[in-house]
Amino acid sequence: MLPTLNLTGDLVLAEHVSHRIGKVGAGDVVLVRSPVDPRRILTKRVVGMEGDTVSFYVDPMYSQTTVVPKGHVWIQGDNTYASSDSRHFGPVPYGLIQGKVFFRVWPPDGFGTLEQ
Amino acid sequence: MGTQSLLWNSVKKFLTCGLIGLTISDRYASIVPVRGASMSPTFNPRARNFTDDYVLVEKFCLKKYEFSHGDVVVFCSPSNHKEKHIKRIIALPGDWIGTTHNSHDDVLKVPKGHCWVEGDNSASSIDSRSFGPIPLGLVKGRVTHVVWPPRRIGLVERVFPQERVSSLK
Repeated sequence: MLPTLNLTGDLVLAEHVSHRIGKVGAGDVVLVRSPVDPRRILTKRVVGMEGDTVSFYVDPMYSQTTVVPKGHVWIQGDNTYASSDSRHFGPVPYGLIQGKVFFRVWPPDGFGTLEQ
Repeated sequence: MGTQSLLWNSVKKFLTCGLIGLTISDRYASIVPVRGASMSPTFNPRARNFTDDYVLVEKFCLKKYEFSHGDVVVFCSPSNHKEKHIKRIIALPGDWIGTTHNSHDDVLKVPKGHCWVEGDNSASSIDSRSFGPIPLGLVKGRVTHVVWPPRRIGLVERVFPQERVSSLK
Protein backbone atom coordinates (compact mmCIF):
# COMPACT_ATOMS: atom_id res chain seq x y z
CA MET A 1 0.00 0.00 0.00
CA LEU A 2 3.00 2.30 -0.61
CA PRO A 3 3.12 5.29 -0.73
CA THR A 4 -0.13 5.82 1.23
CA LEU A 5 0.99 3.54 4.07
CA ASN A 6 4.53 2.60 5.06
CA LEU A 7 5.88 -0.92 4.70
CA THR A 8 5.53 -1.58 8.44
CA GLY A 9 4.99 0.36 11.62
CA ASP A 10 2.00 2.48 10.65
CA LEU A 11 -0.84 2.54 13.16
CA VAL A 12 -4.22 3.30 11.70
CA LEU A 13 -7.75 3.57 13.02
CA ALA A 14 -10.31 1.35 11.38
CA GLU A 15 -14.03 1.36 12.02
CA HIS A 16 -16.24 -1.69 11.66
CA VAL A 17 -19.56 0.05 11.20
CA SER A 18 -19.55 1.51 7.67
CA HIS A 19 -19.43 -1.75 5.79
CA ARG A 20 -22.47 -3.06 7.68
CA ILE A 21 -24.58 -0.05 6.68
CA GLY A 22 -23.32 -0.04 3.10
CA LYS A 23 -21.25 3.13 3.40
CA VAL A 24 -18.13 1.73 1.74
CA GLY A 25 -17.43 3.16 -1.72
CA ALA A 26 -14.75 3.61 -4.36
CA GLY A 27 -11.62 5.30 -3.01
CA ASP A 28 -11.93 3.93 0.52
CA VAL A 29 -9.08 2.02 2.12
CA VAL A 30 -10.59 -1.11 3.63
CA LEU A 31 -9.64 -4.15 5.67
CA VAL A 32 -10.54 -7.24 3.69
CA ARG A 33 -10.31 -10.92 4.59
CA SER A 34 -8.10 -12.54 1.94
CA PRO A 35 -10.04 -14.79 -0.47
CA VAL A 36 -6.90 -16.91 -0.71
CA ASP A 37 -6.33 -17.37 3.05
CA PRO A 38 -9.27 -16.58 5.36
CA ARG A 39 -6.93 -16.14 8.33
CA ARG A 40 -5.21 -13.10 6.76
CA ILE A 41 -6.61 -9.60 6.64
CA LEU A 42 -5.44 -7.37 3.78
CA THR A 43 -5.43 -3.58 3.58
CA LYS A 44 -6.42 -2.45 0.10
CA ARG A 45 -8.24 0.37 -1.64
CA VAL A 46 -11.67 -0.11 -3.22
CA VAL A 47 -11.30 0.83 -6.88
CA GLY A 48 -14.70 -0.30 -8.16
CA MET A 49 -18.09 -1.18 -6.68
CA GLU A 50 -20.64 -3.59 -8.16
CA GLY A 51 -21.61 -2.64 -11.69
CA ASP A 52 -18.48 -0.54 -12.28
CA THR A 53 -16.20 -1.20 -15.25
CA VAL A 54 -12.58 -1.70 -14.20
CA SER A 55 -9.54 -1.62 -16.50
CA PHE A 56 -6.22 -3.04 -15.42
CA TYR A 57 -2.92 -4.01 -16.96
CA VAL A 58 -2.21 -7.74 -17.14
CA ASP A 59 1.24 -6.97 -18.56
CA PRO A 60 2.71 -3.61 -19.67
CA MET A 61 1.22 -3.87 -23.15
CA TYR A 62 -2.08 -5.62 -22.61
CA SER A 63 -4.94 -4.16 -20.59
CA GLN A 64 -8.14 -5.95 -19.68
CA THR A 65 -11.57 -4.59 -18.80
CA THR A 66 -14.10 -6.31 -16.53
CA VAL A 67 -17.42 -5.41 -14.98
CA VAL A 68 -17.60 -5.93 -11.23
CA PRO A 69 -20.39 -8.46 -10.52
CA LYS A 70 -23.28 -7.84 -8.13
CA GLY A 71 -22.32 -8.05 -4.48
CA HIS A 72 -18.58 -7.79 -5.21
CA VAL A 73 -15.89 -5.08 -5.05
CA TRP A 74 -12.63 -4.60 -6.91
CA ILE A 75 -9.72 -3.94 -4.61
CA GLN A 76 -6.18 -2.84 -5.48
CA GLY A 77 -3.16 -1.94 -3.45
CA ASP A 78 -1.80 1.55 -4.01
CA ASN A 79 1.60 0.06 -4.86
CA THR A 80 0.65 -1.22 -8.31
CA TYR A 81 3.92 -3.03 -8.90
CA ALA A 82 4.05 -5.05 -5.69
CA SER A 83 0.47 -5.72 -4.68
CA SER A 84 -1.44 -8.97 -4.79
CA ASP A 85 -5.04 -7.91 -5.28
CA SER A 86 -8.13 -8.19 -7.50
CA ARG A 87 -5.89 -8.10 -10.58
CA HIS A 88 -4.73 -11.57 -9.46
CA PHE A 89 -7.62 -13.10 -7.53
CA GLY A 90 -10.55 -11.27 -9.14
CA PRO A 91 -13.34 -9.23 -7.55
CA VAL A 92 -14.06 -10.14 -3.92
CA PRO A 93 -17.52 -10.47 -2.34
CA TYR A 94 -18.55 -7.44 -0.30
CA GLY A 95 -19.10 -9.78 2.68
CA LEU A 96 -15.32 -10.18 3.05
CA ILE A 97 -14.86 -6.51 4.00
CA GLN A 98 -14.12 -6.27 7.72
CA GLY A 99 -13.74 -2.52 8.21
CA LYS A 100 -12.76 0.87 6.79
CA VAL A 101 -9.45 2.61 7.54
CA PHE A 102 -10.04 6.30 8.06
CA PHE A 103 -7.21 7.78 10.14
CA ARG A 104 -3.50 7.30 10.71
CA VAL A 105 -2.25 7.64 14.27
CA TRP A 106 1.47 6.74 13.89
CA PRO A 107 4.03 7.91 12.70
CA PRO A 108 3.37 11.46 13.89
CA ASP A 109 4.31 13.08 10.59
CA GLY A 110 1.60 11.03 8.93
CA PHE A 111 -1.04 11.87 11.53
CA GLY A 112 -4.40 12.57 9.92
CA THR A 113 -6.82 11.21 7.38
CA LEU A 114 -5.51 9.19 4.44
CA GLU A 115 -5.45 10.63 0.91
CA GLN A 116 -8.22 9.62 -1.42
CA MET B 1 -38.79 8.36 43.20
CA GLY B 2 -38.92 4.68 44.08
CA THR B 3 -40.51 3.76 40.75
CA GLN B 4 -37.99 5.82 38.81
CA SER B 5 -34.96 4.11 40.35
CA LEU B 6 -36.71 0.74 39.90
CA LEU B 7 -37.23 1.56 36.24
CA TRP B 8 -33.62 2.67 35.84
CA ASN B 9 -32.40 -0.53 37.52
CA SER B 10 -34.50 -2.58 35.11
CA VAL B 11 -33.15 -0.66 32.14
CA LYS B 12 -29.57 -1.19 33.34
CA LYS B 13 -30.16 -4.93 33.79
CA PHE B 14 -31.81 -5.17 30.40
CA LEU B 15 -28.92 -3.37 28.67
CA THR B 16 -26.32 -5.51 30.47
CA CYS B 17 -28.09 -8.72 29.50
CA GLY B 18 -28.44 -7.41 25.96
CA LEU B 19 -24.72 -6.64 25.70
CA ILE B 20 -23.70 -10.00 27.15
CA GLY B 21 -26.14 -11.78 24.85
CA LEU B 22 -24.84 -9.88 21.83
CA THR B 23 -21.21 -10.68 22.68
CA ILE B 24 -21.94 -14.37 23.16
CA SER B 25 -23.96 -14.56 19.97
CA ASP B 26 -21.24 -12.75 18.05
CA ARG B 27 -18.19 -14.63 19.32
CA TYR B 28 -19.22 -18.03 20.64
CA ALA B 29 -22.60 -19.41 19.57
CA SER B 30 -26.08 -18.33 18.56
CA ILE B 31 -29.42 -19.87 17.67
CA VAL B 32 -30.87 -19.07 14.25
CA PRO B 33 -34.01 -20.14 12.37
CA VAL B 34 -33.64 -22.08 9.14
CA ARG B 35 -35.79 -20.71 6.33
CA GLY B 36 -36.70 -22.59 3.20
CA ALA B 37 -36.38 -26.21 2.22
CA SER B 38 -32.96 -26.20 0.55
CA MET B 39 -31.52 -28.33 3.38
CA SER B 40 -34.44 -30.76 3.51
CA PRO B 41 -34.61 -33.36 5.10
CA THR B 42 -31.81 -32.31 7.46
CA PHE B 43 -33.68 -29.08 8.32
CA ASN B 44 -37.35 -28.24 7.68
CA PRO B 45 -38.11 -31.73 6.38
CA ARG B 46 -41.66 -30.97 5.30
CA ALA B 47 -42.71 -27.67 3.74
CA ARG B 48 -46.09 -27.84 5.46
CA ASN B 49 -44.53 -27.62 8.94
CA PHE B 50 -45.87 -24.67 10.86
CA THR B 51 -42.57 -23.64 12.40
CA ASP B 52 -39.04 -23.40 11.05
CA ASP B 53 -36.28 -25.47 12.58
CA TYR B 54 -33.96 -23.59 14.94
CA VAL B 55 -30.29 -24.57 14.98
CA LEU B 56 -27.25 -23.88 17.14
CA VAL B 57 -24.43 -22.11 15.27
CA GLU B 58 -20.96 -22.15 16.82
CA LYS B 59 -18.36 -19.49 16.03
CA PHE B 60 -15.27 -21.19 17.47
CA CYS B 61 -14.45 -22.54 14.02
CA LEU B 62 -13.70 -18.97 12.90
CA LYS B 63 -10.43 -18.89 14.86
CA LYS B 64 -8.64 -21.22 12.49
CA TYR B 65 -11.10 -21.57 9.58
CA GLU B 66 -10.56 -25.33 9.58
CA PHE B 67 -13.58 -27.13 8.23
CA SER B 68 -14.31 -30.75 7.33
CA HIS B 69 -16.20 -32.30 4.46
CA GLY B 70 -19.88 -32.44 5.35
CA ASP B 71 -19.89 -29.49 7.79
CA VAL B 72 -23.08 -27.45 7.63
CA VAL B 73 -22.15 -23.75 7.71
CA VAL B 74 -23.77 -20.31 7.76
CA PHE B 75 -22.26 -17.90 5.22
CA CYS B 76 -22.91 -14.47 3.68
CA SER B 77 -24.24 -14.68 0.15
CA PRO B 78 -21.57 -13.70 -2.41
CA SER B 79 -24.14 -11.69 -4.35
CA ASN B 80 -25.74 -9.91 -1.40
CA HIS B 81 -23.74 -9.51 1.80
CA LYS B 82 -26.89 -8.84 3.84
CA GLU B 83 -28.30 -12.34 3.18
CA LYS B 84 -27.10 -15.37 5.10
CA HIS B 85 -27.44 -18.89 3.79
CA ILE B 86 -27.08 -22.31 5.41
CA LYS B 87 -25.56 -25.05 3.26
CA ARG B 88 -23.24 -28.02 3.55
CA ILE B 89 -19.53 -27.91 2.65
CA ILE B 90 -19.00 -30.60 0.03
CA ALA B 91 -15.44 -29.78 -1.06
CA LEU B 92 -12.49 -27.98 0.52
CA PRO B 93 -9.57 -26.04 -1.05
CA GLY B 94 -7.62 -28.19 -3.50
CA ASP B 95 -10.38 -30.79 -3.96
CA TRP B 96 -11.76 -31.78 -7.33
CA ILE B 97 -15.58 -31.69 -7.42
CA GLY B 98 -17.79 -33.26 -10.08
CA THR B 99 -20.55 -30.97 -11.32
CA THR B 100 -22.96 -30.84 -14.24
CA HIS B 101 -22.88 -27.68 -16.32
CA ASN B 102 -25.41 -27.26 -19.15
CA SER B 103 -25.86 -31.04 -19.12
CA HIS B 104 -22.08 -31.55 -19.58
CA ASP B 105 -20.31 -33.37 -16.77
CA ASP B 106 -17.45 -31.25 -15.54
CA VAL B 107 -14.73 -31.49 -12.91
CA LEU B 108 -13.69 -28.31 -11.07
CA LYS B 109 -10.76 -27.69 -8.77
CA VAL B 110 -11.74 -25.72 -5.67
CA PRO B 111 -9.32 -22.75 -5.46
CA LYS B 112 -7.14 -22.04 -2.42
CA GLY B 113 -9.10 -20.40 0.40
CA HIS B 114 -12.49 -21.37 -1.10
CA CYS B 115 -15.05 -24.12 -0.54
CA TRP B 116 -17.91 -25.71 -2.47
CA VAL B 117 -21.29 -25.61 -0.72
CA GLU B 118 -24.49 -27.41 -1.64
CA GLY B 119 -27.92 -27.80 -0.09
CA ASP B 120 -29.06 -31.31 0.85
CA ASN B 121 -32.18 -30.82 -1.27
CA SER B 122 -30.55 -30.52 -4.70
CA ALA B 123 -33.82 -29.84 -6.44
CA SER B 124 -34.52 -26.61 -4.60
CA SER B 125 -31.19 -25.19 -3.52
CA ILE B 126 -29.28 -22.20 -4.87
CA ASP B 127 -25.68 -23.00 -4.04
CA SER B 128 -22.21 -23.38 -5.50
CA ARG B 129 -23.71 -25.04 -8.55
CA SER B 130 -25.01 -21.54 -9.43
CA PHE B 131 -22.54 -19.09 -7.86
CA GLY B 132 -19.40 -21.20 -7.82
CA PRO B 133 -17.01 -21.84 -4.93
CA ILE B 134 -17.15 -19.26 -2.14
CA PRO B 135 -14.23 -17.81 -0.14
CA LEU B 136 -14.00 -19.38 3.33
CA GLY B 137 -13.90 -15.83 4.72
CA LEU B 138 -17.64 -15.56 4.03
CA VAL B 139 -18.41 -18.37 6.49
CA LYS B 140 -19.88 -16.98 9.69
CA GLY B 141 -20.41 -20.12 11.76
CA ARG B 142 -20.92 -23.88 11.81
CA VAL B 143 -24.23 -25.57 12.58
CA THR B 144 -23.80 -28.27 15.22
CA HIS B 145 -27.26 -29.09 16.59
CA VAL B 146 -30.95 -28.72 15.87
CA VAL B 147 -32.54 -27.22 18.99
CA TRP B 148 -36.20 -26.79 17.91
CA PRO B 149 -38.73 -28.42 17.53
CA PRO B 150 -38.12 -30.65 20.57
CA ARG B 151 -38.71 -33.93 18.76
CA ARG B 152 -35.96 -33.10 16.25
CA ILE B 153 -33.33 -32.06 18.79
CA GLY B 154 -30.04 -33.71 17.91
CA LEU B 155 -26.60 -33.52 16.41
CA VAL B 156 -26.20 -32.48 12.78
CA GLU B 157 -24.33 -35.30 11.07
CA ARG B 158 -21.41 -34.83 8.70
CA VAL B 159 -22.40 -36.56 5.50
CA PHE B 160 -21.47 -35.74 1.94
CA PRO B 161 -21.48 -37.37 -1.51
CA GLN B 162 -18.02 -38.91 -1.40
CA GLU B 163 -18.31 -40.23 -4.93
CA ARG B 164 -18.31 -36.67 -6.34
CA VAL B 165 -15.32 -35.33 -4.42
CA SER B 166 -11.67 -36.22 -4.85
CA SER B 167 -9.16 -34.95 -2.33
CA LEU B 168 -5.99 -36.07 -4.06
CA LYS B 169 -3.45 -33.27 -3.61
